[in-house]
Amino acid sequence: MRFQRSLEVWKLGKINYLEALKLQEKLVCDRKAHKIPDTLLSLQHPPTYTLGKRRTDHNLLIPVPELEKIGAELHYTQRGGDITYHGPHQAILYPIISLREIGLGARKYVEKLELTMIDMASQYGVKACAGKKCETGVWVGDRKIGAIGVRISSGITSHGLAFNIDPDLDYFKHIVPCGIADKEVTSLRRETGNIGFKAFENSGPVVIMLGEVI
Amino acid sequence: MASRLLWASRAASYLRISVSHRGFASVVKDLKYAESHEWVKVDGNTATVGITDHAQDHLGDVVFVELPEVGATVSQGSGFGAVESVKATSDVYSPVSGNVIEVNEELNNSPGLVNSSPYEKGWIMKVEVKDASELDTLKNSDDYAKFCDEEDAKH
Repeated sequence: MRFQRSLEVWKLGKINYLEALKLQEKLVCDRKAHKIPDTLLSLQHPPTYTLGKRRTDHNLLIPVPELEKIGAELHYTQRGGDITYHGPHQAILYPIISLREIGLGARKYVEKLELTMIDMASQYGVKACAGKKCETGVWVGDRKIGAIGVRISSGITSHGLAFNIDPDLDYFKHIVPCGIADKEVTSLRRETGNIGFKAFENSGPVVIMLGEVI
Repeated sequence: MASRLLWASRAASYLRISVSHRGFASVVKDLKYAESHEWVKVDGNTATVGITDHAQDHLGDVVFVELPEVGATVSQGSGFGAVESVKATSDVYSPVSGNVIEVNEELNNSPGLVNSSPYEKGWIMKVEVKDASELDTLKNSDDYAKFCDEEDAKH
């Protein structure tokens, strides 16, 4: 059965993590009440570390008082996944989507988020693939280029994916990214040698990809 | 493949599990089901609650279960905890109202029990139920199986 679906896209530019979180919480409520259609937030954050529901603090390798010195914030969230870093020139998508309305489960949804990032990477000649079991995310060989952390409440998604275009990878040295100790983090810039964030200033391509995949 | 299905059907009927013709997610007769994919088994005033085979299959490998506190009050349709799988936390909703009298601590060490044994070892909480008539709003196994098929057909 085919029916028309719409996806409203909000391009937010650089937005503080807590502001984005409050916005998502409101949008999830609105989506649950059918006040809004499926909505996609496209944005970047200033330097921010976040933890998931399991609060895996031990994967933060820098004392909390030191965070201010490196210009970063720390936030605890209800999303799945371990610790991660968000920062400028990392493309973030937070889809606020009703999975119930399309009969999609968490596993398939996450697979589609992975596919979006894999397709995105291939647009720039980078061969990426989904992680193995317990290593959800998108990888170029042994190097992680995209991370996922999602919350599903009443069948509505929030949080989402973070794709490394050209963030400052040094910030990842202060954490065990996603709790996986022996693997590096990479970016589109590092893998191609020349793609910078300018290519993603208009995040049209990623959004269209996500729209097609979900 | 056909002989495997036949064996599975025979085993299913022996164990009083009905196997949906669509695939492999099972339902258990005599349980009641919520549209949010939780099951409840009532024994006197005690209701045992978990998530269904359909739910665990759609979630993926469970790595963490957020259990409610013993003594907490739960209401039908309200969240009582969450399950984490594949970097996604999914809220779970109580199919009954009452007080939590026991939680399955095993899930702290072995969250995968929710996947391998969703109706038995993967139970999540036991609730002292106040109002048994609430169960009338839930689905029986056949209606739930049909509901799952309809939901999956949307995609």
